[in-house]
Amino acid sequence: MATNAAATTHASNDILVVDDIVKSFNTADGSLTAVDHVSLSVKQGEFMAVIGPSGCGKSTLFNVIGGLVDGYEGNVTVGGERVNGPHPSIGMVFQEESTFPWRTVTDNVAFPLEIAGMDKAQRYERARHFIALVGLDGFENRYPAELSGGMRQRVAIARTLASEPKILLMDEPFGALDEQTRLLLGDKVLQIQHQLKQTCLLITHNITEAVQLADRVLVMTYRPGKVKRIVDINLPRPRSSEIVSSEAFGRYVAQIWSDLREEASRGMRDEEQQRAGAHS
Amino acid sequence: MAETGNLSVPAARRSNGPGLWSNPVTWLRIAIIVGILAIWEATAASGLLYRDVVPSLLAIGRALAKLLSNPEYYWHLSVTAGEVGTGLVIGGLLGLTVGIAFGASKLLGKSFEPYLYYLGPTPKIIFFPIMIMWFGVGPGSKVAMGAISCFFPIALSAAAGMRQIDEVLIRVGRSFRASTSQMVMKIYLPAMRLPVVNGVRLGLGVAIIGTLLAETKLSNRGIGYLIIQAYSLFDMPSMYAMLIVLFIIAIGANALVGRIGRFDAIKQK
Amino acid sequence: MNAAATTRKFSEQRFLPFTLGFGALVAFFVAVEVLIRIGVISRYIVPLPTQIFAAFERVIVEEEILSRFRVTFVEAAIAGGMISVVGISLGILLYRFDLLRRATETWVAAMASAPTVLMYPLFLVIFGRSMWTIIMMGFVAGLPAVILKTLEGLSGTRRVLINVGRSFNLTPSQQFTKILLPAALPTIFVGLRLGLIFMLINIVGVEFLINFGGLGQLINDLAERYDLPGTYATIFFVVLVSVCFFIFTEKVERWLRPGT
Repeated sequence: MATNAAATTHASNDILVVDDIVKSFNTADGSLTAVDHVSLSVKQGEFMAVIGPSGCGKSTLFNVIGGLVDGYEGNVTVGGERVNGPHPSIGMVFQEESTFPWRTVTDNVAFPLEIAGMDKAQRYERARHFIALVGLDGFENRYPAELSGGMRQRVAIARTLASEPKILLMDEPFGALDEQTRLLLGDKVLQIQHQLKQTCLLITHNITEAVQLADRVLVMTYRPGKVKRIVDINLPRPRSSEIVSSEAFGRYVAQIWSDLREEASRGMRDEEQQRAGAHS
Repeated sequence: MAETGNLSVPAARRSNGPGLWSNPVTWLRIAIIVGILAIWEATAASGLLYRDVVPSLLAIGRALAKLLSNPEYYWHLSVTAGEVGTGLVIGGLLGLTVGIAFGASKLLGKSFEPYLYYLGPTPKIIFFPIMIMWFGVGPGSKVAMGAISCFFPIALSAAAGMRQIDEVLIRVGRSFRASTSQMVMKIYLPAMRLPVVNGVRLGLGVAIIGTLLAETKLSNRGIGYLIIQAYSLFDMPSMYAMLIVLFIIAIGANALVGRIGRFDAIKQK
Repeated sequence: MNAAATTRKFSEQRFLPFTLGFGALVAFFVAVEVLIRIGVISRYIVPLPTQIFAAFERVIVEEEILSRFRVTFVEAAIAGGMISVVGISLGILLYRFDLLRRATETWVAAMASAPTVLMYPLFLVIFGRSMWTIIMMGFVAGLPAVILKTLEGLSGTRRVLINVGRSFNLTPSQQFTKILLPAALPTIFVGLRLGLIFMLINIVGVEFLINFGGLGQLINDLAERYDLPGTYATIFFVVLVSVCFFIFTEKVERWLRPGT
């Protein structure tokens, strides 16, 4: 394993380098390769999206980069430092509902600061700042159950931002939300990213979301997950969700869909075969 | 005596809407209660059933007043409460320890939890003869019955509570690099609080039953003893009075522990 | 080789816990046997496990445990039939009349959590020391669960299924037998299962308490005769019967809920 050699070959402003990752799982019917020789790099301040059909190993890649799984080949480095377990420079936002139901919004957002041992007054002040950033001022003392799904996901984002990560790593953060909320939350993310110059890596299966938010979109293949293509999105910044109606936007969506269509239908056939097999 | 499953009415259906007195539900309830009491009183007056099986409401009321003004009753009540409380503490602590161990270790859980799961819904009172041999005829065997009864639901809920913790919350904790003690204090314990409270609620119910049944079978003090004494003296009004008080206490205690749980549920829902 | 490794891992996952659990149980009995034999535990409090094991034969032959079992079974069958018929009917009744439901559902729920078994002296007065005291105690113990779950199952039928029925112009009775009842059946059975378990617990318990009837009385008898191995053996037998009943109803429930 070449640890630093890989990192140095990339441009020096690459803050996150994912180098030749292979991750397989043992299942009942043998070994399954979820991520197959995937490499990517994210520049400081860049917004990158990884898109692929269900079952392409996106979430595995997310867990590998976040340091939540081990037992893979290849390297993940942040600012030249090898990721070995959850790294303080990487803040994760999860696909599932992940706010703590027993904590108020403030206590949720202050959680990483509490873990880091910051005193109460200071961490509350910081929490309030990030709550305002995601536009939830006035809801500081509410419990997640009193908020909508979109608001809860903003709490989760604020909580991750409060740990001031160098890289914001998001796995389908708006997956459970409806299309309109998703677009509006996308605006919020764009605005925050612009304000904080936040480096972001977004994992998604939603083409609109990827094109709306990202500077570059990496398309993955269906099982085993490989890099199929990287598409540069040359849409002006600052952006907003209004851009989805532009012609250029439509072209990008069509281009990515033509790449993805083949993979998604392969996944669908595979799924059908599996179900047919399970029945016989 | 039974601790399988949860039979509660969803909170939304509990409320009867605004305007208590303009609500037909209230009137229907009153009508049902008045109807039952009228039938009861008529039966008592008619003397159709054997003597005193259905005593008049007045007699029950008098017995209730007598019971509640009798200091000796409170002494028996305190004996029973002490037995139930001690049983709940012993059985509860054992149950929590065992449940947490089963929830934390897959191997332990898979190896031993089936035994708990299948022993849970068996009649505990049949162990009473053994408890008498082990702990004597005094309060010791009653405490043991209470402890055995509440051990099962509390252990099973604690184990299930530990396993139902949303896995993503654990990943959140790990992604912020929480230490083991931080994980326990800030994630595991708060996340399993509700099922544990529910287990304690079920446990309290069965501990009351286990202790009191043991008292009715063999003892010389406690509420169960008083009830069986009323039976042998054929003092029906005072038996009804004691059962009424007992049911109010049991349902009230259940609601009280349930409220601790619900207080959280409202905040979280 | 990889495949072989995974199969081995698979069987380990099943057999290790079973062996550990069962092994610990056996080890426990062996330890008790040893502790009694070396005199750490008094054999007048805990009989030797081997003695308990030997007592099974005696209990079966001399104490006619099987005919005791039949008595309990008959009581349980009668009470179970009553619970099913009355409980499901009352559940349907409350479903049909919403006002009645809103007035009484919380009462039924309170009954479900109330310590009804403590009313056994009262039932003893009403029904005497007879089978009916036991049957009625089992009945009141199991009834609320069946009512509540029937109600829950019927009112939990998904709106869209009801609309499907209406789109096919089903008559109200067709709507009930073709849509509501099948949709509610799994939940109703959950209620029946709970109710029957509560019932069995109470029936055996009351048999023991009032010293009448089947298996429960046998425990009481043997304990009063200070027949320790017999008492322990009968308790094991009763536990075994309850566990078998529990597993049986669980199997039926799984069968009624395919795909879960």
